[in-house]
Amino acid sequence: MATPVLTGRPRRPEPTSAPPRRRGVWRRTDLRTAMIFLIPATVGFVVFYLLPTIRGVYFSFTDYPVLAPPTWVGLDNYERLVNDPLFWNALVVTLYYVAINIIVQTVLAIGVAVLMQRLTRSILVRGAILLPYFIANVIVALVWFFMLDVQLGVVNVLLERFGMDPQAFFGNPALALPTIALINVWRHLGYTALLLFAGMQMISPQLYEAAALDGASPWRQFRSITMPLLRPVLALVLVVTVTGSFQIFDTVAVTTGGGPINATRVIYLYIYDLAFEQLDFGYASALSVVLFLILLVVALVQLRLLRAGESDEA
Amino acid sequence: MTTTLDPGATPAPTEASPTGPIDPQRRRRRVRPGKVLGWICMIALLLITLFPFYWMLRTALSTNALLASQADNLLPAGFTLDGFRRVFGLVTLEDSLAQGGAGGRINFWLYLRNSVIVATSITVGQVFFSAMAAYAFARLRWPGRNTVFAVFLSALMVPGIFTAIPNFVLIKELGLLNTFPGLVLPTLLMTPFAIFFLRQFFLGIPFELEEAAMLDGASRARTFLRIILPMSGAPITTLAVLTYIAAWNEYFWPLLVGQSENVRVLTVALGIFRSQTPQGSPDWSGLMAATLVAALPIVILFLALGKRIVNSIGFSGIK
Amino acid sequence: MTHARSTTAKATTPRGGVRRRTAAAALALTGLAGVLTACGPGEAAEGGPVTLTYWMWDSAQLPAYQACATEFEAAHPDIRINIEQYGWGDYWTQLTARMVAENAPDVFVDHTQQFGKFVEYDQLLDLDPLVERDDVDLDIYQDGLVSLWEGPESGRYALPKDWDTEGLFYNSTMLADAGYTAEDLDSLEWNPTDGGTFEAFLARMTVDANGVRGDEEGFDPEDVAVYGMGYGEAGAGYGQVQWSPFALSNNWVYSDEHPWSTSFNYGDPEFIETIRWYRSLIEKGYMPPFAVATSGIGGTDALANGAYATLVEGSWNARNVIEREGVELQVAPTPIGPSGERASVINGLGDSIWAGTPNPEEAWLWVKHLASPECQLSVADAATVFPASLDATDRAIDAFTAIGINAEAFSVHIEDGTTVPSPVVDQWSQLTTIMQPAMDRIFSFGADPDSLVDAGEQVNRLWE
Repeated sequence: MATPVLTGRPRRPEPTSAPPRRRGVWRRTDLRTAMIFLIPATVGFVVFYLLPTIRGVYFSFTDYPVLAPPTWVGLDNYERLVNDPLFWNALVVTLYYVAINIIVQTVLAIGVAVLMQRLTRSILVRGAILLPYFIANVIVALVWFFMLDVQLGVVNVLLERFGMDPQAFFGNPALALPTIALINVWRHLGYTALLLFAGMQMISPQLYEAAALDGASPWRQFRSITMPLLRPVLALVLVVTVTGSFQIFDTVAVTTGGGPINATRVIYLYIYDLAFEQLDFGYASALSVVLFLILLVVALVQLRLLRAGESDEA
Repeated sequence: MTTTLDPGATPAPTEASPTGPIDPQRRRRRVRPGKVLGWICMIALLLITLFPFYWMLRTALSTNALLASQADNLLPAGFTLDGFRRVFGLVTLEDSLAQGGAGGRINFWLYLRNSVIVATSITVGQVFFSAMAAYAFARLRWPGRNTVFAVFLSALMVPGIFTAIPNFVLIKELGLLNTFPGLVLPTLLMTPFAIFFLRQFFLGIPFELEEAAMLDGASRARTFLRIILPMSGAPITTLAVLTYIAAWNEYFWPLLVGQSENVRVLTVALGIFRSQTPQGSPDWSGLMAATLVAALPIVILFLALGKRIVNSIGFSGIK
Repeated sequence: MTHARSTTAKATTPRGGVRRRTAAAALALTGLAGVLTACGPGEAAEGGPVTLTYWMWDSAQLPAYQACATEFEAAHPDIRINIEQYGWGDYWTQLTARMVAENAPDVFVDHTQQFGKFVEYDQLLDLDPLVERDDVDLDIYQDGLVSLWEGPESGRYALPKDWDTEGLFYNSTMLADAGYTAEDLDSLEWNPTDGGTFEAFLARMTVDANGVRGDEEGFDPEDVAVYGMGYGEAGAGYGQVQWSPFALSNNWVYSDEHPWSTSFNYGDPEFIETIRWYRSLIEKGYMPPFAVATSGIGGTDALANGAYATLVEGSWNARNVIEREGVELQVAPTPIGPSGERASVINGLGDSIWAGTPNPEEAWLWVKHLASPECQLSVADAATVFPASLDATDRAIDAFTAIGINAEAFSVHIEDGTTVPSPVVDQWSQLTTIMQPAMDRIFSFGADPDSLVDAGEQVNRLWE
């Protein structure tokens, strides 16, 4: 497996993140110190992530009805997966969801972060933008479900007042998935914007001042200073939000339950249904392994695209 | 496009500049169309962000039985505080059911305390231990560093379904069901996100400072505590806020592990407002009241610490 | 926990520093205090009373069963009942996870569509030996409820606690405006050819945006203000509160065997013609389009809001619906079909004992009490559901009537013997996975009802 290094810095002769070897202080490696610093996180990682994952991968080669011991079936689950139209449908639906959710959310969040940086220092504005994140996912879904109800929802009531037709947001196969994607944008926009904003704060103001003296327009400053220097944080934000977006589940479960006509049956909902409703943990694990691999590939591609993958000399 | 500018190459400014690059003299000049447009966008965005909160409040102050027949009323339908009364457990079970609510004993202050304990423990532990790990990945040189980091990062992609049940069984075997340690352990030591997040920020801190300290003979631990952590006020505060909110809103895990009264957290307790018979309709006003009440403590916390957070976002510099 | 201080940023002002330090200390203390005061679960000391955990999902029934528990504890001082209620959405996931962790509730309310898989993996205690040993009389329950809980080969995995059937809920004000009386509703008939008097009734109850009724000249089915009948979803393979009263009164049954059937009749002509007729009501404007119907928070809300004039709903929701304020709602029996009779699914809940319970005897005592006449009668008085035992049913009808609910709409099926037991199979969720999109497609006019032949074959392949 390739090892992405997220220095996120444009190529330069001497990346400061990897100190040159010639200085005395840095001559020895810090292996022992690093090991000590990593003890708590490693325990957490091994116990709560690594071991369950290894178990899960093992289960994917078994028939495991959860309430009875697993029996080895080799590649059966993977064969079944390739021939399972529901799996392919779920994959397409999920990708469509991720595309809408991530594109809208990232563009808006960059905009909001810039606005927060340039327009106002008000903590109230920042708090207000983050407010939706204070509400749990499931509740957010329920609130919007309530507001978007075709007959009783305030959104449709308002649409009618402005002379528009009420929309069946969750019942129309064409609208259901975008609606769910936008609900999640509503919840996570402040969160994403705050991360990007924190990244922008790490950029030295002198750079902007110098650029302003050179007569660079705000847009030019944004393109030449903000975006390039934001890259490590943007890489972080994208990897995290895309990963989360692929695992969308509760919003769908609360609103459409995968309907209408499987239009919102995202992969995680399918996995959940297989595991807890059909007690088919072996097959659910195989799907999870595939999802895991997809996410790894997607993350690697993202890190490469953001040119965060330079080999380190350490 | 690329640039050869590097934040690490410039000495850290000595004062926070939360508004970024706007110099004070320019602010009093003529109104710029860009600004106006910016404000219009901001206000539109705030409206879309805040309207659902108004609607939650309006619904929370309504009578369940009237919600359907007065759907087009933008004010509370049959103004009442009963939704909030149900949340605080001030209504008898029979009355609660008559109001279209669910049953369930609600010991609000106890659950609030439990939520505070759980969210605080998780935030403190997770941020600190993840910062240690991020330091090892960003500031220390050792063979295999990036491979190990990539492996840690891949935990971010592990589907939750893999971890939920094995971790639940593990917590049970450790005898930690219905205890605070059981509730916080899985996220206390690290989350891939926290490590990833802090590493990205630690990478941007100039090395000169650390070198100076090292030449003075400071130990690694001391450098970490005295230089890296203070210099990363913004990202650490940001992460702490996000971690706190996430821990506060966690539902599935506490539902599995923290059933008994003495460790039950708010989200689990308020889950009863969502409970419904198949095809029945939830207690909307109670649910909205519960949502507002559950979010209120962290919103207050955020506002109380707001100034501090604002001040710490941006370079705090070195004294 | 003691690291709290180190995560706070460096003090910038002396005052801030002090405050931050106290805050950090306070945080550290609360965190620490939390861990210190965390005591384990309330394990009973040796020789102390046994605590049984009892799970249910329907909060509306909680008070009645709490009362049963209080009675039971008085009679058995050495047993405590700890009732926990979870919403339907969390209930089965939680139960499964806890069975895996061998930490499930001793006794729990069970559902006919769910218990098959638990039986398959030996999670439920077989009650037959206990029933025989204690000579429990199973004839005191409504017909068909006891057999719902029999295992595929043998065994009995729950005692019945209640039953439910479907009725046609309607808006009394709209009924009067349309010139119908409540008595008229008792004799409505439907058929798949012209819809019969029932379809005429729905047409009359439907009003378009201009105030024109569905049976009047100039009615606009594209712009309807009040739909004659609502529905909440396409109903997958069950249609309990959608099309089941119609299909079952058209000489159709889900499957020929019951329970544990391995072949279903979704491809039968009787079923297909029923669905074709039912769907035609959407085209005629008497029922909402599929997108509209499924985009709401619930049919009962739309009924209360005046968007629907009538709605098929279950008896478990009777109180919730009829006690809505600001609108006059009542319930009538579902119409008579081509078979010459009405029909309704009868389903019931039961109480099961988890096989892993450390206290099977105590759990059995509790289940026996729940199914006993005394507990059932007190449940009847609460008027939330119809208890399973015969005499408690009569009592419940009185209790419902006393609060102004026409309970006969539900009990008429019991009296006339027109109940059809709810399907009991071991692969219900797999069946739903096939039938849900199939029905969604038909209802949204993306497929013809004839496609049910294929869907039915696909379903039946589940047991090959």
